Amino acid sequence: MQSMELPLVLFTVLSQAAIGLVLMNAVRLHAGPDGGNDRKEWTLAAALMGVGIAASLFHLGHPLESYRALAHLEKAWLSREVLAAGIFFALAALAAFTGREKGSPVLVWAAVLAGLSALLASGMTYAPPALPAVNNALPTVFFLISAVVLGAGFASWFAATGSQPLLARILVTALVVGLVVRLTVPCAWLSGSEIMRQTGMAWLGAPLYWVHIALMAACLGVLWKKRTIPVWLPILALAGELAGRAVFFSETIHTAVNIGAPY
Amino acid sequence: MKKKYAFLVDSDKCIGCFTCAMACRNYYHQEKGVVWRHVYPLNEEIYPHRERAFFSLACNHCENPACLNVCPVEAYTKREDGVVVHHQEKCIGCGNCIRSCPYGAPVYNPVEKRAEKCSFCHERLDAGLLPACVQSCPTGALKLVDLATMEPGNHVQFPPGFPKNDKVNSSTRFIMPKVPTMVRR
Repeated sequence: MQSMELPLVLFTVLSQAAIGLVLMNAVRLHAGPDGGNDRKEWTLAAALMGVGIAASLFHLGHPLESYRALAHLEKAWLSREVLAAGIFFALAALAAFTGREKGSPVLVWAAVLAGLSALLASGMTYAPPALPAVNNALPTVFFLISAVVLGAGFASWFAATGSQPLLARILVTALVVGLVVRLTVPCAWLSGSEIMRQTGMAWLGAPLYWVHIALMAACLGVLWKKRTIPVWLPILALAGELAGRAVFFSETIHTAVNIGAPY
Repeated sequence: MKKKYAFLVDSDKCIGCFTCAMACRNYYHQEKGVVWRHVYPLNEEIYPHRERAFFSLACNHCENPACLNVCPVEAYTKREDGVVVHHQEKCIGCGNCIRSCPYGAPVYNPVEKRAEKCSFCHERLDAGLLPACVQSCPTGALKLVDLATMEPGNHVQFPPGFPKNDKVNSSTRFIMPKVPTMVRR
């Protein structure tokens, strides 16, 4: 088991919740006029991204020099992630401070673009060659699912009554896809190379992995029964995503652990 | 022709004495727990004999280094002779290189709160000297080679027990241990 990287767990999950919120705002904008309170929604998105960025500083040895992380945009996905997350935060903060009940469509689509760029850059950053189980598109898929689950959940706090069934449908779909992906991927790893097999075993043996699965299933059960998103459900989903992300960082096996043994 | 320095690990000669790792520590005085060169025993599934065999490994000074590519502050550079240098004063301790190197070469220095790794003793190379680990090896199992002029031989790039990663294209070459002679009375 490697370090849980709690600052990175908080940064990735909270930033994805913020991106998901803006995605759901764009979906509702596309679906037609909605009587919800956009300003409060943007405030939460900016706050989530702001807390996430602040948390990420705690995993640096020298947080005061973090501004230099923009130096290698040419090649390093981490530099691109920092840039995209920063732009997203600036746009969300701008939308929150401009003070209108309805957000500007230009700001919404600009924030969606910045958010999706940040999501992709995060996915590429955490898909390094040293972690063969996730040295592929899986981190981006995991992060996108987290963004939609949390975005749909938290958006229900601000959306008008007419948009609630749409958000509930999106949340159900994301939870079902999330459950299928989360359950099948570690099983597929078991038939892969030695490091992938070890990663599959580590994930399936991690209590937090099952906490994540159980919380996703519980959210799905609640939605099945109530047909709408209860106000407390996003908190439950957030707890599940935090548990799942801790597993992602702590239980994904590094190739170097097996040097001298078969791969 | 430009030089392309690499380590040649002759596992047939290596006796697992750790002198190379000790020489590295003696030369650089790393913090407690910070190790640049490791001596890995080969697992019995790879070398199923009563005699043991070893890989002495530090940074592999890859052709396309993962550490250099992922570092957000450009703390890594690659010299013309192939040596990958970490400039610790630029490092902000994000750990991205540590997470990304398939060989676990960069390590975290908890005192400096920055990463660090084997530098191939480039300052010694520039002075015409061998790296400390190579110079110290009592059996000649660890050698400095120039891949640009190295003759084809029985060395391999990705032996069993060493992570294969074509994309980063590690420079270290290996000579595998021979099967020990069985003497029966």
